[in-house]
Formats: sequence, C-alpha cells, structure tokens
Amino acid sequence: MLLRGLTWLVFFRLLGTVLNVLLLPMLPGPIIGLVLLLVFLKLRGEVGEPLQQAASSLLRYLPLLLVPPAVGVMAYAKDIAADFWAVMGSLILSLLLAVAFIGWLMQKLIDRQARHRSEP
Amino acid sequence: MSLDWAGAWQALIHHPLFGIGITLAAYQLSLAAYERTRWVFLQPVLVSMLLVILVLLACNIDFPEYRASVQTLTVLLGPTTVALAVPLFLNLRRIRQLFWPILVTLLVGGVAATGLGVLLAWLFGGEHLMLMSLLPKSVTSPIAMLVADQIGGIAALAAVFVMITGVLGAICGPAVLRLCGVRHPAAQGMALGITAHAVGTSRALQEGEECGAFAALGMSLMGVASAVLLPLLMALIV
Repeated sequence: MLLRGLTWLVFFRLLGTVLNVLLLPMLPGPIIGLVLLLVFLKLRGEVGEPLQQAASSLLRYLPLLLVPPAVGVMAYAKDIAADFWAVMGSLILSLLLAVAFIGWLMQKLIDRQARHRSEP
Repeated sequence: MSLDWAGAWQALIHHPLFGIGITLAAYQLSLAAYERTRWVFLQPVLVSMLLVILVLLACNIDFPEYRASVQTLTVLLGPTTVALAVPLFLNLRRIRQLFWPILVTLLVGGVAATGLGVLLAWLFGGEHLMLMSLLPKSVTSPIAMLVADQIGGIAALAAVFVMITGVLGAICGPAVLRLCGVRHPAAQGMALGITAHAVGTSRALQEGEECGAFAALGMSLMGVASAVLLPLLMALIV
C-alpha cells in the first residue's frame, strides 16, 4: 500500500521534471508535480488509501528532510559574516512585519467575507 | 599488537552512511528535546542543523562531502513537495470558500514579504549581489535558487537566506500571530506559508490540519507567483 502511494508521488515528481525541461523552465519540477497531482485528485474526486498513507508518512518527516539544505549555511559563513547585520537585520525585521501583516490582512478579509455572507 | 585507531576513525567519518547517521541522530535528539520542553527556540530543523554543523566541524568534513553523503535523504524532498497536494486537496472546499481573501492576501502579502526584505537590506547597506540573493527569501528553496540565479544573485546564498527565514518564521511566526490576535487557522496558515515556505508549513502542520493545508497553499502559490513574476519584474526594472 505504502509503496503504491510512493510510486505515484515519484511518478508525479518525475513528470514534473519532464514538463520542466520541455515547457516550463521557470517552474521547478516539484511544484509542477504538486499542481499535477492536485489536478489529478480533483478529477478523481478522492484520495486513495495508498496515496494518503504515503503522503502522510513523508510529510511527517518533512523537517528531517530539510536539515541537509539547512546545513548549507556553513558553506557560506564568510559571505554572510561580511554583510551580517544588514542581512540578519533585514531578514528578521521583514519576517516579523510580513507575518504580522499577512496574518492580520487575511483575518480581516475572512471576517469581512463572513459579515457579507450573514447580512446580504 | 597495536590497533589502527586513526585509520578506523577516518574510515568511520568518511563512510557514505556517516552523514545520514549523524543527521538521523541529530534530528531525533532535537525532536525529543523539543517534545520534552515545548520551547519555541528548539525548532527541530534549527537544532539539528546546529548539531550536524558542530559534528562536521569537529570531524573536519566539508559541506560538499556531507551533501553527497545525504543525497538519499534530499532526493525525497521532491516527492514530499508533491505530497503536499494531498492536504491541499482535502481542504479544497474550505479554500474555495475563501477564494478572494486568499487571492488578495497572496498578491498584497507576497509583495510586502518580498519587497520589505530587499528594501531593508538596501537601507542597511547590503551589496547588489546580496540584495538579488535576498529577493526570493520567502520562497521554497528550489524555486528561490532558480529565481536568484535568473536575476543575478547567488543560488546557494539564496538557499541559505531561505533557510534562515524559514527557521525564523517557524520560531517567531505563531507567537507574532497570537500577539496580533490572528486566530483563524486559515489566516495563520497563509501567513506562515507565504513568509516561511516549507519550514513554516511543517510548523503549521503542528498547529493543526487546516492551518497546515493553508500554509501549503500559501507556500505553493507564493512559489509559483514568485517564479513567474520576479524574473519578469526584474527584467522590466533593470
């Protein structure tokens, strides 16, 4: 079961790469694969048991899979040190402001839509 | 009889499985520490990263060697990204109900998240190369690396900024959102996904399934929008 779902995921991932080379050089393969799988699920109308199982097993380990790219920081320690405060300052400040702003905006829009729906 | 300790040590730390071994061990240690303490600064990705870097430095192993030895892990990132389609699909009905809020938030918020970082770095005196690598900081790393390359930044540096942003977002994001009174899981998820991509999404999944689904949505929409629009915009401006 798990293997069948995994095969589907790998299939869509590879399909993404093929389309990336053929048609869409600006979009990376995994994102194309994600969109294709979503379209496929939409057409089928449901998530099969094998796919559900494989997806939730992989997603449980997403943080683990992100560790190796994160370790890449060590290779660029010198470049970052040169511009350390400019880089860290802008990363931290812009993140805090953006998270607060986006969360606030979305919440406002959701509340407004809810109000419009309740009093037409 | 004298044992060849030095030889054994070299064979151990340069074995192809050593990288995977320390990554698995570091991840489980930091996960246990996080679950024991529930302390926000102990984000598993961040702590594992520090532990692995420490071991690599202690053993004098450089990043390319480590990267080569953990390839079996990183190759799974692709199918895992594709797998995000499943929670996305399961929440499609809720997403369709909130179509306009999502679209407006993505456009306005995406521009804010991207523009603020570059503007601040420019004000703080960052160099052009740094600025161009900073531009895609809120986008998931495969896209960010492509975009940085296309607009004249350094792909690997972009990946680093993406990681720093993601880890920061996972650490501070939920607290900032609570502080601002953002309670709706969809709003929390969108904020985490748009600003902090995959790391934010994995943090959002801990908050709940709906929050995770919207984070995955925010991340993929932000990724697609940035991949298409950023190179176009830069071509128009420069």
